[in-house]
Amino acid sequence: MTKPFVLIVEDDPKLNEIINLTLQGDFELETCADGNTAMELLANIIPQIVVLDLHIPGTPGREILTHLRSDKRFWRTRVILTTADNRLAETLHNDVDIVLLKPVSPNQLRELALRISSLQ
Amino acid sequence: MSYQFTLSMIPLALGALVSFAMAFYTWQNRKAIGATSFAIMMLMLYEWEICYIFQLAGTDLPTKLFWDKLMFVGVVATPVAWLAFALEYTRRKTWLTAGRLISLSIFPLLTITFILTNELHQLFWTKIALTYQGGFFLLDNINGPWFWMHALYSYTLITIGMVLFVRALLRWPKQYRAQMTWILLATLTPFIANIIFVFKIVPILIDITSFALTFSAIGLAFALFHHRLLDIAPIARDIVVDGMKDGMIILDANRRIVDINRAAQQMIGLSSDQPHIGKPVAEILSKWPELVQRYRDLLEAKDEVSIGEGENQRWIELTLSTLLDENKSILGRVLTGRDITDRKQAENKLQESEARFRQIVENANDVIYRVDNNGYVTYANPATIRILGYESEKDVVGRHYLELVAPDARAKVRRAYVHQFLSKTPTTYHELPIIAGDGSETWLGQKVQLIQEGGQIMGFQALARDITEIKQAQDALRLARDQALEANLAKTRLLSKVSHELRTPLGGILGYAELLQRNTFGELNEKQQKAASQIIESSDYLATMVNELLDEAQLRSSAATLHETVFSPATLIEQATSGMDILAQKKGLEFFAQVDPNLPRAIYGDDRRIRQIVINLIGNALKFTKKGSVHLNVTCQGDNYWGIQVIDTGIGVPAEAQEAIFEPFQQVHSELTNDNRGIGLGLSITKQLVELMNGKIVVESEPGKGSTFTVLLPIKGVG
Repeated sequence: MTKPFVLIVEDDPKLNEIINLTLQGDFELETCADGNTAMELLANIIPQIVVLDLHIPGTPGREILTHLRSDKRFWRTRVILTTADNRLAETLHNDVDIVLLKPVSPNQLRELALRISSLQ
Repeated sequence: MSYQFTLSMIPLALGALVSFAMAFYTWQNRKAIGATSFAIMMLMLYEWEICYIFQLAGTDLPTKLFWDKLMFVGVVATPVAWLAFALEYTRRKTWLTAGRLISLSIFPLLTITFILTNELHQLFWTKIALTYQGGFFLLDNINGPWFWMHALYSYTLITIGMVLFVRALLRWPKQYRAQMTWILLATLTPFIANIIFVFKIVPILIDITSFALTFSAIGLAFALFHHRLLDIAPIARDIVVDGMKDGMIILDANRRIVDINRAAQQMIGLSSDQPHIGKPVAEILSKWPELVQRYRDLLEAKDEVSIGEGENQRWIELTLSTLLDENKSILGRVLTGRDITDRKQAENKLQESEARFRQIVENANDVIYRVDNNGYVTYANPATIRILGYESEKDVVGRHYLELVAPDARAKVRRAYVHQFLSKTPTTYHELPIIAGDGSETWLGQKVQLIQEGGQIMGFQALARDITEIKQAQDALRLARDQALEANLAKTRLLSKVSHELRTPLGGILGYAELLQRNTFGELNEKQQKAASQIIESSDYLATMVNELLDEAQLRSSAATLHETVFSPATLIEQATSGMDILAQKKGLEFFAQVDPNLPRAIYGDDRRIRQIVINLIGNALKFTKKGSVHLNVTCQGDNYWGIQVIDTGIGVPAEAQEAIFEPFQQVHSELTNDNRGIGLGLSITKQLVELMNGKIVVESEPGKGSTFTVLLPIKGVG
């Protein structure tokens, strides 16, 4: 059985690495550190989960979110939002599946990712 | 009995006819003053004349004597009636009592008795004879002593009556004088004629009294019809002039008193018994030589003079006016005096009270001024001049109020006044800058009151106080507040920024520590495992602190407003609790949530804040629970409230701390909490949020057994 495909969009290299290390055994991963790369990747792949940081260089996280939510191809794609901005996080609660306020606990992230991927 | 009537009797008959007509007419108008006695007098004259005609016409002695005797009824009654008329007409009716009338009538009745019984004693006529002269039979009696008594009595009564009339004539107004003259002439004529006949001054055959009586009757008739003798009785001087409350003195051109009424006598303090008429006015007013001197050559004057002292002091308003004839020469003067003591006392009291109030206003330390309805200052008290730093009253009084207002504020002040005038607001309060005498600005806080008289606005009066210092203090305070607000906002922004910036490195610490613990970077020994756990715990604490600080800062700043939308409570609970079971499992706790199916599908409210409340409460319960369970129970509390209940089996809150835990930076201190450090803002924030939503939060707890936090929120239906 193929592992669920996860796209990680995180500009901070350390957090990027942590998320990668957290999810690596259980998921197929694709990583990028800016919005533009993320948009390029999304043109070709349809991830099951996108772990998205809002504050990233290039295309902003919100725009990526809007893209995911408006394109029918991504109708099954789940979004886990990671952000340090609690207010922004609150406003986006209804547009995403899970909001994780930084600092993100790797254990929690892994559990949640496993849970939402198994719901499909 | 035989009679011989001749043409010479026609005037007598006419006289009788006129007398009768007069008697009849006046009897018809007997309500007029003196009319009754006048009618009786006329009737008696009529009797007299008729009897005299028949006496003359009789041709034998018995006939003549019969009529002559009968005639005397009228002859004796006429003087009595005349006197009665004179008394009544000159307003002395009260003198004429029934007793006096009877007394007056005794003598005439005696006379009649003596006439009827003359044959026995010859007291009235000593001799009765008939002569024939010039074709006439005439009675030629010789009068006896009683006749002369009768004559004397009658003349006396008539004279008294005439004197009364003459006296009245002098006093009465001019318009009554003609009338009186006619009455006198009419009376005097028969009187003189009678004297001539009785005393035989001129040798004549017939008693010319009868002719005279005719003239008399005609005279009276003229008085009656031409001067309306009985219709308009003269207005009694006594009633009007003596009855007046005002004193009145009439002087002739030589300043002698022509008339003085009772009130004037009382005012001056003269006795009313003595005659004052004819005296020079200076004599009567000798107590006030100065006044007499001053009024001597004045034509018109008006003064208020004081008479008497102490309790008896009276104030008199004197008016002098001059009577001029058609040629503008002085006929006399009229001096009237009105007692104005009451008015004067009232005025004095008013002046005293005015003076009292004026003193208060003048000595007040507050600015008090008045402005007329054209906007000009009509009064300003000394405090106004002093506080505004002006030299004198002239700098303020007479100027337009807007001139005194600082130019920048004029339009606004003017609007405020106009609004007050138009809306007729009785009082308003304004604060306005005034240009002081030295050109500086003085702030006044003033209460402006409209002056209204009979619904008409006459202007306004203001009571004001120098509030320059208060104003400056207020400005300073406002600036300080603005600065504080700005500083507060800056602090909030800084906190947001700091907490935001802290999260990223924290993520690194927490992330790597957990990865270490999960042996991602190789197997860890026990000590290393423990070290990793300590790092995780510390970073958890740091993360909580950052969150709480941020929440607190946001709540305290203007961010604490609700953003209400429609939401599903069930969905909200599901989202808020996702991941909670993971956290619980990590601590070996059981977590479960239960949602009342009766809960409305949609509620209006701030879902973000409610989510924050739920997360805070569960987070708090997980933090303080070592073993057992954390249970979320969402219920419907009647129609108006829904409840969020978090039940744990944790350390509990002692009763004495149950209120304090909702205060910021408060935590229950016990050895049990040592491992669960936080900065103690969670419950404070939760309570603030709940109260912001008009809800309430309560805690029930038993230390060692657990706590139940219940939040009740009002249900705002979607409609």
